[in-house]
Amino acid sequence: MGSSKVQRLSGMQKQVLSLYRGFLRAARSKSEEERCKIESIISQEFRRNAEDVDRKNFLYIEYLLRRGNKQLDQLKNPGTTGLSSLQLHYSHPSSKG
Amino acid sequence: MATNTFTGASLSERFLRLKLNQRLAFNSIAGQRYSSISSYGRRNVSFSSQPRSIRLTVSCAAKPETVEKVCKIVKNQLALSDDSKVNGESTFTALGADSLDTVEIVMGLEEEFGITVEEDSAQSISTVQEAADLIEEIINKQSP
Repeated sequence: MGSSKVQRLSGMQKQVLSLYRGFLRAARSKSEEERCKIESIISQEFRRNAEDVDRKNFLYIEYLLRRGNKQLDQLKNPGTTGLSSLQLHYSHPSSKG
Repeated sequence: MATNTFTGASLSERFLRLKLNQRLAFNSIAGQRYSSISSYGRRNVSFSSQPRSIRLTVSCAAKPETVEKVCKIVKNQLALSDDSKVNGESTFTALGADSLDTVEIVMGLEEEFGITVEEDSAQSISTVQEAADLIEEIINKQSP
């Protein structure tokens, strides 16, 4: 693996971090209240996936990246005021039974 | 809005030139003493055979107050106590930050200093000192 000094990120990891940055940036343009909600939900979502998703499950990760980018595009729309209209509360494919 | 409280244009200009010269020297560009680095012109696409872990040790480090500010933001972002030992040498990893935390730290620094950190630069930061150095470099570049 990469040295502890410099993080060697795979291409896919960079895409995930890039998407995360994108969401945090988009959240800034919303009202203060909505921004807090967005940041909280996004943080939980990314961290949950970081724990639950096998890092070698490339197909699923790519799927999540594509869906995330679509959601980010919607969030960037000035007309989108909050997450409820994004329906980020999707029904997760039951990996936990 | 975020106001840039940094003053002393002549000092920052000298700082910028020193930094650019050192960077150019590291990239083995002989002859050119000064050149404007455009963030959009990616001409140095050549791959360096040197491992990325070798970093240039800059003699002109960031101002102590910048490092102090970065430490404060890092502590806040990672929910560390105020008496936690965080200094320029601290690595985000040693402080318990994962890659998502590091993204949040950089975003927090952007807002605090009113700057925009490019993605590649953001992903290459691993210590507080590196963050502070990059911040001052960006501030000097972004100010008209």
